[in-house]
Amino acid sequence: MEEAASQLERDHVHSVYEKIAPFFNDSRYKAWPRVRQFLLEQEPGSIVADVGCGNGKYLHINERIYKLGCDVCRPLVDSAGSRGHEVQLCDGLRLPYRNACFDAVLSIAVIHHMSTRERRIRALREMARTLRVGGRIMIYVWAMEQKRRKFEKQDIFVPWNPNPPLSPRGPARRRRRGDGTQSVSEAPHDSGEKHRTVRSTSSVVEEEEDPAQQRKQKLWFFSRSLDSVLDFSSLSVSRSSSRDLSAFCSPTGETRGESETGDCTPLSRGRGLIRQVSSFFCSSSSRTSLEEDVFVSDPQDQLHTAENDETRTGNETVSIALLQDGSTVALPDLVSCQREQGDSGELGQDGQERQDSPVSVQQDQEEEWSKEKLKESCLRYYHVFREGELTQLIEDHVEELQVLHTCLDHANWCVVAEKVHVWRV
Amino acid sequence: MKLLTHNMLTSHVKGVINGYPLLIKATEVKVNEVEFNPQFVSRMIPKLEWSALIQAAEGLGHLQDLPGTPIENYENDAEFLRKVHRVLLEVEVIEGSLQCPESGREFPISKGVPNMLLNEDES
Repeated sequence: MEEAASQLERDHVHSVYEKIAPFFNDSRYKAWPRVRQFLLEQEPGSIVADVGCGNGKYLHINERIYKLGCDVCRPLVDSAGSRGHEVQLCDGLRLPYRNACFDAVLSIAVIHHMSTRERRIRALREMARTLRVGGRIMIYVWAMEQKRRKFEKQDIFVPWNPNPPLSPRGPARRRRRGDGTQSVSEAPHDSGEKHRTVRSTSSVVEEEEDPAQQRKQKLWFFSRSLDSVLDFSSLSVSRSSSRDLSAFCSPTGETRGESETGDCTPLSRGRGLIRQVSSFFCSSSSRTSLEEDVFVSDPQDQLHTAENDETRTGNETVSIALLQDGSTVALPDLVSCQREQGDSGELGQDGQERQDSPVSVQQDQEEEWSKEKLKESCLRYYHVFREGELTQLIEDHVEELQVLHTCLDHANWCVVAEKVHVWRV
Repeated sequence: MKLLTHNMLTSHVKGVINGYPLLIKATEVKVNEVEFNPQFVSRMIPKLEWSALIQAAEGLGHLQDLPGTPIENYENDAEFLRKVHRVLLEVEVIEGSLQCPESGREFPISKGVPNMLLNEDES
C-alpha cells in the first residue's frame, strides 16, 4: 500500500510539480486572501510554518512573524530560497521539526495530493505535533462539491494547463480586464469581501458565456482510490470496463518492470489501473467513445448517488472522460476567481489567478514551446474532499486538533483548527 | 539557514530518540545585516531551546559573549537583545550539513536550504 501510494505521488504530484515549477512564478499564482488574513492576525514574534510552501508565495506576508517553509519539490524550494526565505526540503509525512515549536501552521492545497486516507491523516498528525498548544492550523483542500457542478469521483487526475485561458495575448480581453476588474492581488485591500465584489461586477467576457465553450468539458481522469484498490474485496474491476480500457490502451513511453496483464498482485493491480488511466490520456488516438460528462449538472441529484471511499463495491469501474480540446478549457487552478459571476464554481481552486503581468511576445513563444512538451506528462493526482470530510478526519483521527471553523472558499474547503492538550488517563 | 530555523530542526530518522539538536558542519557562513526589532527578539527567546542556540553559535565561532542562559529581565536589555538578534537572524549557514547527534546521518545544506528528505529505509 505504502509503495503504491508513494509511487502514485511520485509520478503524479512530485514529478509534475518539478516539471511545472519554472512556470510557478507566473503572476497567476497569487495568495489567497483568507490565508493572508490568517498570517496577518498572528501575534508579532510568532513562528509560522508553511508546510507545502511551493515557491513560497505566503512567506513574505507579515514582517513581524518568523516564517519558514518546506516542500518536497526541489525546484520550488530552491526558488523560494533564492528569494531569501527560510525553507527546507522535506516530506510532509515526516516533518523535521521538534514538537510544539510553531505558533501556527499553513497547509494550503497540499494534503489533497496525498493518495491515501492514512497518509492524509499522518500529514495532519505531523503538523499537529509541531504546533504548540493553542496554536492554529489553516488547511485548504479542493472541494468535491462546487456551486454549480460536482466532481463525480473523489480521486482524480487533473492535467496541468500551461496556458491560462485568458492570456494577455488577446488585446480585447486585456482591455476589458483593465476596466475595473482586478485580480485579487491587485485589489488595494486583500479581503474576501472585496474579492467577491470584484467578481460580481466583472465585465470580462467569461468563457462560460460563450455557448461553445460551455459545451467543452473539463478533463478529469478518475482513478480508484488507492484505499479501495488495495482492499481485497473490491479488487475486481468490472469486466466491461476493463475490456474498454484494454481496447483503448496504448503503450506509454514510460517503461516499468511489470506488465499490465501478467502481474496480479493487489499492488500492481492498483498501479496498473492508474497507469492505464494515465496512458489512456496520453495517447492521442483514444478520443473515441468514452465521452462522459464528468461533471454532474445537478448537484442535488448526485449528492445521493455519490460514492464514498469506504463504501465502494467490488464492481467499481473506472470512468474516464475526454475533452474535445484540452488546451483552451479553463481548469480550476488556472482561472481567476472572477470568472463566474457570483459563483465560485470550480474555478480558482488553488487560488491561482490569470497572468496579469505583460509578457513579451518572445517570452511567450519560448514558453509555448516548452509548455507544449510538458502538457502530456503533467497529470496531477487529487483527492477532492466532500463537505465535512476533512473535519471528520480531524475529529476522528487527530485528537490533538480541535476544529474551530470550516468554510467553502471558492471551491476549496478551508478548515482552521487549534492544537489542544490531550489528557490521557 | 538561520540559527533561528536551526533551533526548530531535528533529526527524524526512524528509530532515533535523541535527534536534537542537529550538529552544524558549515563550509560557508554569511553574516547579513537584518533590521533589529527588539520586541521580535524578546518574544522569540521563550520559544527557543537556548542551549541548542548557544551550542550552534559556538560551533560557528559566533558565540561572542552570549551567556549559557538568558539574562534576567532581558526584555529591557537592548544590548543583550541585539546580541541575540545577531546570532538568531544575521548568521546564516549557506553550505554545509546538519548531522544527527544520534545516528550520524548528515543532511546537506545547499544555498542555505537544508535537505531533510529521508531515504525509504530511514523513514
